[in-house]
Amino acid sequence: MRNAVVGSAKAARSVTRFGRAPPVTKNLRKDPRSGLPQPHVPIITRQYAPCRLEDYYYSTLQDDLMYLTYKHQSGDRPPPRQIRLTFDPNDPYSKFRHNPPVGGSQIGKKPAPPSTPENVVRLEKISLHTMVKEAVANRSSLLPAIMQLRALTGETHQGGGRHAVEGIQIVKGKKSVGGWIRPGIPIGVKVDLKGQAMYDFLGTLVEFVLPRLRDFNGVILPPQSSSTTSPSAVSGVVSFGLPPSAMVFFPQIEVNVDSYPKTYGMHIHFVTNATGQGAQDRARALVSGFQIPFLRR
Amino acid sequence: MHSRNAARCITRRLAAESPLACSFRRSLATEAQSIPESSTASSALSTAPVRSKRPPRPQISTAVVLNRSPLLTRTPSPFENAYYAYQARIRRALHNPFPYDFYFKQGSLLETRFNMEEKAREWKAFGRDFVEEEFVSEEKAAADKAAVEQLAQQEGEGEELLPRQHEADATGNRKSLDRQGKRNLYLLLQASENGKDVWRFPQGGVEKGDLLHQAAQKDLYAECGEHMDSWIVSRNPIGVYKPQQPSASAGEAQPEHAVFFFKGHILAGQVRPQGPAIKDFAWLTKQEIEPLVEKDYWEGIKDVLSDY
Repeated sequence: MRNAVVGSAKAARSVTRFGRAPPVTKNLRKDPRSGLPQPHVPIITRQYAPCRLEDYYYSTLQDDLMYLTYKHQSGDRPPPRQIRLTFDPNDPYSKFRHNPPVGGSQIGKKPAPPSTPENVVRLEKISLHTMVKEAVANRSSLLPAIMQLRALTGETHQGGGRHAVEGIQIVKGKKSVGGWIRPGIPIGVKVDLKGQAMYDFLGTLVEFVLPRLRDFNGVILPPQSSSTTSPSAVSGVVSFGLPPSAMVFFPQIEVNVDSYPKTYGMHIHFVTNATGQGAQDRARALVSGFQIPFLRR
Repeated sequence: MHSRNAARCITRRLAAESPLACSFRRSLATEAQSIPESSTASSALSTAPVRSKRPPRPQISTAVVLNRSPLLTRTPSPFENAYYAYQARIRRALHNPFPYDFYFKQGSLLETRFNMEEKAREWKAFGRDFVEEEFVSEEKAAADKAAVEQLAQQEGEGEELLPRQHEADATGNRKSLDRQGKRNLYLLLQASENGKDVWRFPQGGVEKGDLLHQAAQKDLYAECGEHMDSWIVSRNPIGVYKPQQPSASAGEAQPEHAVFFFKGHILAGQVRPQGPAIKDFAWLTKQEIEPLVEKDYWEGIKDVLSDY
């Protein structure tokens, strides 16, 4: 009887409260540069709270998207049609000849992978991108944009000991455009959000920002006559932009708008795992499932 | 074999063309050209030359798996709670320094409140011994506390949250749409069929020329009334159930019967059963459905229902 009481008391011990830290018997080695103690193992932070939108995806949205985007296919797919002779390196005629790719760009012609429960469309990452034109002349004008993205996302370089988290990145010019941009000069900032941070940002955007934008009725869809084989139509990315005036509706910025000399707009890219023909439609179905409205002009 | 072939042809709107369906249609085309009907049928079915009559057309019905999505977040398991608490603690220990001067005016009430809340969170994560105690005079601490409490009152904090358990759960009301907020619920109807009361999904026949998903929506409204908004998710059926045929007459070929399931969501309103055939309805989770329905029906539907 007594044992049972003790046992139940042990079982009732809280698993979310922590007692006193163990006494330090041996000091950790210190980093010579920073003077900070270094643990024996790399410490990585993982998910620290249940994620509402992720649960919503797995309990509701995923099933619906699978049914919505399902394409029936009986048996194996026929092999692609061989429209030209294939290059045979052993053939003395073609042995030393140039072997150009034939049939033009194949980007938009790849069919979508077969519908399976494993490749139901899902959100891989959200990419936020801001271009600051003034940074061409004065690179310190990137600072407010960096601060803005940091406040919005809380991302830092290798934050939480995760080497794949890149934090806020500086975007540099790629090529020379006369009088405007030169290769290698910092011109903008971007951040990639994944996992919990991604869903948190999405929730904030949908619940606090979009409903308060006065002249925003939805993301404008391209006209029906637009190409279905363009790279953007088959890459499974949904993009839209927010003007500088929309930034004040993010609670993270709203709380101290006066601290920013200027707010900058940003592009938001929802990157999904959809590929092949019709990928953007599937990506839109997913994103609209997270309550981002779409509008046809 | 032949009847299944015919069924495929009828449902070719939703299924991609199968080789079977193609061959069947081709035989129809040749039939139109010259050859009389009976000889075509016998040549197509060379294995059964005795049977001259076509088997009856299969009977097709649609049913709607009407779903109420979860309203509340899932309750984490004790293990998940422990894991999250541990990770939050590591995160708190490793986080970058918070830029107080960027977010707060020095000495402002908001900063005082934030500091007090932050201290409470530190205590919770690391224990009282771990957090360094700052010296604040007693008068100042009391004044701060009073000011923060007043601010909280002004902002209307501390309002009671609604309970996560609805009263429909306490009373066992299975018709309420608010019951079992964390689970997916499905609509089941109690209907009398052949003098027997069975629980099943809303179901009905398909008229000629109807698309299956439209027929499903129509049948749903016919049995459950117009007082609700619903949305049929997809044009594709999500499952099929073939009831067992009563093997009464041996010579007579029974028409095959297939029920195609479509997923739907209820968006607003409530079910009002129509007609004398529908006795009752209930919103049930997957586990509650199993004991109510018949065994072969359960085998047909169990994989389209959500465990969460």
